[in-house]
Amino acid sequence: MMSDRRSNFRARSLHLLQENIRKSGPAAAAGYTLIGAILLLGAIGYLIDQWRGSSPWFLLGGLLLGIVVGFYELAKTVWK
Amino acid sequence: MIAEQEGQAGAFDAGEVIIGHVSNSSIDHPIIHLPTLLGINFSVTKHVLMLWMVAAFLFIVITWSTQKYLKQERPIPTGFMNALEAVVQFIRDSIVLPSVGRKFLNVWTPLVLTFFFFILTANAVGLVPIFEVLGLFNHFVLHAEHDSMIGLLLHGGTTVTSNFNVTAALATITFVSIIAAGTQAHGFIGHWKNLAPPGLAWPVYIILIPIEIMGMLVKPFALTMRLAANMTGGHIAILSILSFVFIFSDLFHSALAGVGVGVVVAVPLAVAISALEIIVVMVQAYVFTLLTAVFIGMAINVHH
Repeated sequence: MMSDRRSNFRARSLHLLQENIRKSGPAAAAGYTLIGAILLLGAIGYLIDQWRGSSPWFLLGGLLLGIVVGFYELAKTVWK
Repeated sequence: MIAEQEGQAGAFDAGEVIIGHVSNSSIDHPIIHLPTLLGINFSVTKHVLMLWMVAAFLFIVITWSTQKYLKQERPIPTGFMNALEAVVQFIRDSIVLPSVGRKFLNVWTPLVLTFFFFILTANAVGLVPIFEVLGLFNHFVLHAEHDSMIGLLLHGGTTVTSNFNVTAALATITFVSIIAAGTQAHGFIGHWKNLAPPGLAWPVYIILIPIEIMGMLVKPFALTMRLAANMTGGHIAILSILSFVFIFSDLFHSALAGVGVGVVVAVPLAVAISALEIIVVMVQAYVFTLLTAVFIGMAINVHH
């Protein structure tokens, strides 16, 4: 009886964990897109700065654009 | 291997040893020489070799066990097949189904499953010290030449998923799949129309369309960086902590100091981080497949 209840508890916890992970999918996608946009566009800006010798303007522009793109993707996930 | 390199170089350089253990082996000393076609050198480095080994291992093990199961008289999975079936069912029902939906479930489950098993195996192989044991064996028994097959195998990292080129290739497959999924569900023009929400004033689209295109490219980039950085980071952490042993014995000019630090701090900490790495290996494979499924689902089930 005791072991029965314990295995039931374990099954329920695993089920809830699975449920939570499942729901976290879109949130994880939005989070990674936010940081990915800032990194990618910032890096592109940095490379253009290196190439044109225009430091730091393209880096700043890239970072700003990254924030805009990242937050746009986040907003799309939140306001679905 | 660390001790061996230390002996050659004199003073111990932790940075060089760590980079040597996580990066690919040099293209100048490939394991298998292949010709250069269209300006691309096709010679096989260690990461490429590991890539092939992981792919061959998975192909043989999974095909063999599935074939064996299908030939059984009573279709009851046992042993490895039982575990495999549980994982397959978990991925289908709790990763692919909630994001992709029932209509295209069987179209995209095989891709997501392939991703999961490939990344999981490639990550896990990186934790097994195959080539470190081979190096130790070589040091004491084989004494292979530096340019021989075994000598070449001892250089470079084992974890293929810690190479950005590998994860970028995987993310490119995801990128193409997102477009393919959208095209399949809504038609080619319909998929591109779905990128931006309809019914807005035209000046908004001038801003929105470039942002959407950048967002489209950012998603696979985030996948690439996340997997490779996570797999490299864990290995660097373990190696830097183990480097304490050699740094301290250099610092105090006594092997005893190094061994003391090793026994008290470095080895227990490295064991703990290795245990954490086992979780990371599974979580990273899981997250990559989850994100792939979510992105494919976003292209199929468009809400505005």
